[in-house]
Amino acid sequence: MSKTRLTALFAVLLVGVVSVAIAGCGSDDDSTSSGAETSASTEGGGGGGGEPLSVGSDIPYPPFEQGKAGEYTGFDIELMEAIGEKIGRTPEFTDTSFETIFRDVAQGKFEAVISAATITEEREKTVAFSDPYYLSEQAILVQEGSDIKGLADLAGKTVAAQQGTTGLELGKEKANAGDLRAFPEGPDAVNALKSGTVEAVIIDAPVAQNAVEETGGVEIAEKVPTEEEYGIALAKDNTELLEEINQGLQEVIEDGTYTTIYEKWFNLEPPKEIVG
Amino acid sequence: MLSLQGVHKRFGDLEVLRGVDLDVARGEVVCILGPSGSGKSTLLRCVNLLEPPEEGAIFLEGQDICKGPGSGTGEQSWNLDFVRQRVGMVFQQFNLFPHKSVLENVTMAPRRVLGKSREEADGKAKALLERVGLGDKLSQYPERLSGGQQQRVAIARALAMDPHVMLFDEVTSALDPELVKEVLDVLRELASEGMTMLVVTHELGFAREVGDKVVFMDGGVIVEEGRPADVLDSPQQERTKKFLGLVLER
Amino acid sequence: MNEFFNQFFDFTVMGDHFDEVLDGFFRNLLVFALAGALALAWGLVLALLRQLPSKKFLPVRGITIAYIDVFRAIPILGVILLISGSIPYLEFIPKDIRIPHWFGQPDPYWYGVLALTLVYGAYMAEVYRAGIEAIPRGQIEAARSLGMSHGQAMRHVVVPQAVTKIPAPMLNELISLLKDTTLVGVIALGEALLIAREVQAETFNASAYVLGCAMFLVVCLPAARLVDYLIKRNQTKVARGSHIAV
Repeated sequence: MSKTRLTALFAVLLVGVVSVAIAGCGSDDDSTSSGAETSASTEGGGGGGGEPLSVGSDIPYPPFEQGKAGEYTGFDIELMEAIGEKIGRTPEFTDTSFETIFRDVAQGKFEAVISAATITEEREKTVAFSDPYYLSEQAILVQEGSDIKGLADLAGKTVAAQQGTTGLELGKEKANAGDLRAFPEGPDAVNALKSGTVEAVIIDAPVAQNAVEETGGVEIAEKVPTEEEYGIALAKDNTELLEEINQGLQEVIEDGTYTTIYEKWFNLEPPKEIVG
Repeated sequence: MLSLQGVHKRFGDLEVLRGVDLDVARGEVVCILGPSGSGKSTLLRCVNLLEPPEEGAIFLEGQDICKGPGSGTGEQSWNLDFVRQRVGMVFQQFNLFPHKSVLENVTMAPRRVLGKSREEADGKAKALLERVGLGDKLSQYPERLSGGQQQRVAIARALAMDPHVMLFDEVTSALDPELVKEVLDVLRELASEGMTMLVVTHELGFAREVGDKVVFMDGGVIVEEGRPADVLDSPQQERTKKFLGLVLER
Repeated sequence: MNEFFNQFFDFTVMGDHFDEVLDGFFRNLLVFALAGALALAWGLVLALLRQLPSKKFLPVRGITIAYIDVFRAIPILGVILLISGSIPYLEFIPKDIRIPHWFGQPDPYWYGVLALTLVYGAYMAEVYRAGIEAIPRGQIEAARSLGMSHGQAMRHVVVPQAVTKIPAPMLNELISLLKDTTLVGVIALGEALLIAREVQAETFNASAYVLGCAMFLVVCLPAARLVDYLIKRNQTKVARGSHIAV
């Protein structure tokens, strides 16, 4: 075949593949354009009817977000749905990777992000955060019976954390690990612990607790109080939505819905700092 | 020396040899003629077990080479070592090893198969290459030689293994006409030294002069055999006549 | 448009994190070096096994062909995950072997090398095969007529000739392999793109990706051109013809 014909054939194939891909992506499950233009799809949660609200989240990250597309569940998910009801929007969740999540919402890929995301100064340069909706800390997760008892024992060890998280930050600053591994996905870090390829994982305390309860074979060596607060992230110029969400959050707290959701997922009473 | 009895060879559905009987005495030069597809190449390749026959027996120096140690199916049932160290073959397409020099081509098998030392193998190779007139080309690579020269190297290469029987499969058919003589001269000399040879060829002149016996094959069987003068000048069979007529007309 | 440049070509970000990403790139090269060497060897073994003649070796040929088919058909990412998700759990293997930390390289390195070797061995076996099958049958026939065994014929006559025919496609495979070393990031080996992703998460800027890719470009582009040159040179060689100089 002559060179020009070969190039032409290749170009046609490329165009064909790309069109199929675009056509495929245009349908239900995947990310939608911002707000108004999208048609209501089946996976809006139990929100308050009305216009859909595109929300990004790094799923799974139990107990905050987990489950299959169309049936997402978790603390963050239910909280967002409750807020949605108050403000008259129906959240539509899209699974996305955590490491790009702030950039994504800043660039308008979603209207909001709820993903167990800690409010930090660094992040506040790029996004705006709602009022804090959760108080958290880090935990050191180890194999059952491990002789690692705390942060200090991590020196020289193989430690894992998720990319882009405050857990990884903590690891870099304080752990003095022999090998600090950044996993793109949180659950993979926990898997590495269970398989024995890493000796400890630094991860959000509630997630660690969930791992202890649900998967077994691991235990929390130490909780490291970092006074972290989670917030819902929005693009900085979206002040209107920010106000609405803050308002919605307030109402959810006041009418007790927050407490119900909290107790459901954490078996604990919510802290005073949040519920007042 | 060599005796083929009732040899049959099939390729899938096609039966290429349909019962061939042939005796070759020590020192005899047997020239095999025939149209393409007659099975003459296949016959040669049966003798050195490149294509072992399905049926029949081939006796080489008294041993049936189609039945070997651990007789079963496949290569273990053939007496490969016995055969290949006594039978040498030269091909129409020379099949020299292009990545080795002329000398290395000739010494490779003696060194690898017979375990000869480098000096021994080199010495013998040089002598053989001198004999075929290529003593000055030892370090050349095959691609630089003419067809006739390459074929002479191929002959030397086969001779280096001290074969008792030499098989020649249309060794001049791929050569330009002016190069044919030099190769035939080597064959002539070999014959006069008493080598047992099976020569598949179209060179009737050579067959008449050098051959002790001429065999005409067609359709997988030997149609006629006898002394060169008899077969070539006064063929008995129709098919032989026809073939010779066609060849001589050229 | 300006936004585009800031996102992808922020030279300050690139400058600040150049060393980290380069460090990661060296890790890619390290994986490539070992996996490449092993795959070249393993591929040759597979190709030769596939070649074994006669009925007696039919099961060997069958298994080899099945292996090659399977490993050319599974995504490399899948193989990496399978290996890293299974080997550590095989308790009958001593811990030092199933979670290797040899020569200062952590276990993701070794799992990655293993996965890439298994897969690329299969691809390279096919390249070798093409090279071997391009050698005229007459070569083997001549060798065997001279008394050489199949193994000897392969070793002294066929393979030495076959390897001169395969540099271009082999180099293509190697370029592919270098790029595929980035897949080992999924099990947290600090390779260039994984580091770039970390930088991205910290700086909210994608320039580190561009930096990482640029490093690959610097190596792979000349290599790809070399492949083109080799192919061209081989074509002219064939066109001019080689055998009989009358």
